[in-house]
Amino acid sequence: MNRSLVILLGALALGAAIFTGSYFAGQRACVMCQAQPADDLAWLREEFHLTDADMARVRQLHEGYMPQCAEMCAKIAVKKTELQTALDNGTNVTAAAQKKLIELGELRAQCQTQMLQHFVEVSQAMPPEQGRRYLAEMQKLTLGFHEEIEQSMSHPAGHEHHQP
Amino acid sequence: MKENMNSNDAKLGALLRESRESPSLPPRFQENVWRRIEDAESPLKSASWLDGLAALILRPRLAFATVAVLMLAGVLLGSHDGVQTARHDAQARYLAAVAPNSLR
Repeated sequence: MNRSLVILLGALALGAAIFTGSYFAGQRACVMCQAQPADDLAWLREEFHLTDADMARVRQLHEGYMPQCAEMCAKIAVKKTELQTALDNGTNVTAAAQKKLIELGELRAQCQTQMLQHFVEVSQAMPPEQGRRYLAEMQKLTLGFHEEIEQSMSHPAGHEHHQP
Repeated sequence: MKENMNSNDAKLGALLRESRESPSLPPRFQENVWRRIEDAESPLKSASWLDGLAALILRPRLAFATVAVLMLAGVLLGSHDGVQTARHDAQARYLAAVAPNSLR
C-alpha cells in the first residue's frame, strides 16, 4: 500500500480517536459533576434559579404532597388489580369491568387534579416569572403526553376507520 | 612510413563505420530523453497530492495544533451534551417523584 495513504488513514483514525475520547471524557465529567443523587428537587433549584428560601418553601410543599400522592397511587394500583380480575373472568367487557374502568378513570382524574393543585402551590412559592414558567413546563410534561396520544389517534393516518 | 600508417587507420575507421548498421531511433526519442532528464532533476515536481498532504500532516507544529483543536472541540461538545443529559436526568427524577407514571 502507498506509504502516504497509510499516513493519511492513520492520521484520520488517530484524530477520530482523540475527538471521541475527549467527547466522552467531557460528557462524563459534566454528568458526574452535576449529578446530585440524594435530592429529587435539585432540578427545580437549577432550572428555576431558586434561592435557599424559595427551596425551603418548595421542599415543605413537596414533603406535604408526597404522602397524598403515595395514597392515591396505592388506590389506583388496587383499582387496576380489580379491573384486571374483572377482565380475566370473561371474554367480553362485562358490566363489572366497565364499572371498574369508570372508577379507575375517576381515581386518575382525582390524582391528576391533586397533582395540578400541587404544581400551582409550588409555582406560587417561586418568584412570579419562574412560577409561571414552572407551571407551564409541568403542565406540558404531565398533560402533554395525553395530548400527543389523542392527536395521533384523531389523525387520519394514525386511526383509520375502514368503511364496509 | 608513419604517415602511411595514419592514412591506413583513417581508411580502416571509415570502412568500419560504413560496415556497422546504425539502428533507427524510436519516434520523439530526443524529446523523451530531455523529459526524463528534467524529471530526474526535480523529484518534488513528480510527487502526487497525496504525498504532499502526508508531508503536511507530518509537520510537528501542524500535528500538535490539530490534536489540540480536536481535543478542545471534543471536550466542549461533550460537556455541552453532559450538561443536557444531567439536566434531563434531574428533570426525570423530579417528575418520577411528583407525577407517577400511571398519570403520564
